[in-house]
Amino acid sequence: MNAPTDRDLILQARRGDAEAYGDLVTRHQTSVFNVCYRILHNRADAEDLAQETFIRALDRLHTFDIEREFSPWIRRVAANLCLNHIEAQKPSAPLDEERDEDKTQGPSEQVEVKERSEQIRSALASLPPHYRIVVELRHYQELSYDEIASELNIPLSDVKSHLFRARKLLAEKLHAPD
Amino acid sequence: MHLTNEQLNEYLDNASTERAEIETHLDSCDECAARLSALQALFTDLDSLPDVELSTNLAARFSPRPSLTPQLPRWLTLTATLQAAAALVALIVAIPFFSIMIPQIETPSFTTWLFELQSLWTSWLDTLSTFQLPITQFPNLPAYPVELSTLFIALSIVSIFWIFGNGLLLRNHRHS
Repeated sequence: MNAPTDRDLILQARRGDAEAYGDLVTRHQTSVFNVCYRILHNRADAEDLAQETFIRALDRLHTFDIEREFSPWIRRVAANLCLNHIEAQKPSAPLDEERDEDKTQGPSEQVEVKERSEQIRSALASLPPHYRIVVELRHYQELSYDEIASELNIPLSDVKSHLFRARKLLAEKLHAPD
Repeated sequence: MHLTNEQLNEYLDNASTERAEIETHLDSCDECAARLSALQALFTDLDSLPDVELSTNLAARFSPRPSLTPQLPRWLTLTATLQAAAALVALIVAIPFFSIMIPQIETPSFTTWLFELQSLWTSWLDTLSTFQLPITQFPNLPAYPVELSTLFIALSIVSIFWIFGNGLLLRNHRHS
């Protein structure tokens, strides 16, 4: 028997089938969590926001266009929630001390990969929130400039300036000569 | 004249409307080609970021979600409605019996009950063995157009129907 499609699970969840929604969450939770983790760079916050994403999605499930793909939609919901979360926390203490650092050890090559990943995550986390969200939507969710403008409800010119400045900052942090 | 930062970004984002001109320029300008390579390296870095695994299963928190109102199949909803209607009819039918029978039941006091337990038990057994339908004991009972035996059989069937329906409802509840 074929596994149910996302569409099947959504239709079942709309009829109140909690198990179907649980299956949908299982299917997409890792990608949604990673959206949150890339933006927040804090595992606990990312898990909370991923959870919140699925709660919001459940509330909006009846308005979701069943002909569209669920994955891009839920990931955009997650990105927007993370942006709101960051903006709500703006006046708080610097996040750098709270941010996750992968301290696990392993073979040297593996450690190098992890260290590089950590550098990239730290660089992303150091960006202003609006830059971070645009990078997420462009690089990881592969939205066009127009789609990002529509999603964030900002002018196209802002999308470009945020994205290009973000890349400049990232390049300075990641490719700066030692 | 060199390419602008915007031109290079749009070129790598496949959003440029002047790709041919940019490529021509890149062929002849080492500086712009180096800038493009640096930007491509950043793209590669961002693409290389691996996914991390969740430490908890988010789906587990949704299964018992109370706000998800379980929707019963239509036939089961109909069963529940029918059994409720049947129970209401049974109650209406039973009211005259109880209204006549209850005042005539004498409740023994505690001491009487203590001393007469044995004889009461015997009399109950005797009553049960010689039990007759209430209509013979209570002549004031309203007359029904059906035989009382038929009525009792109908009530029994309704009771079985009710128990069966509740069993199905509880089974559905356990699975949700």
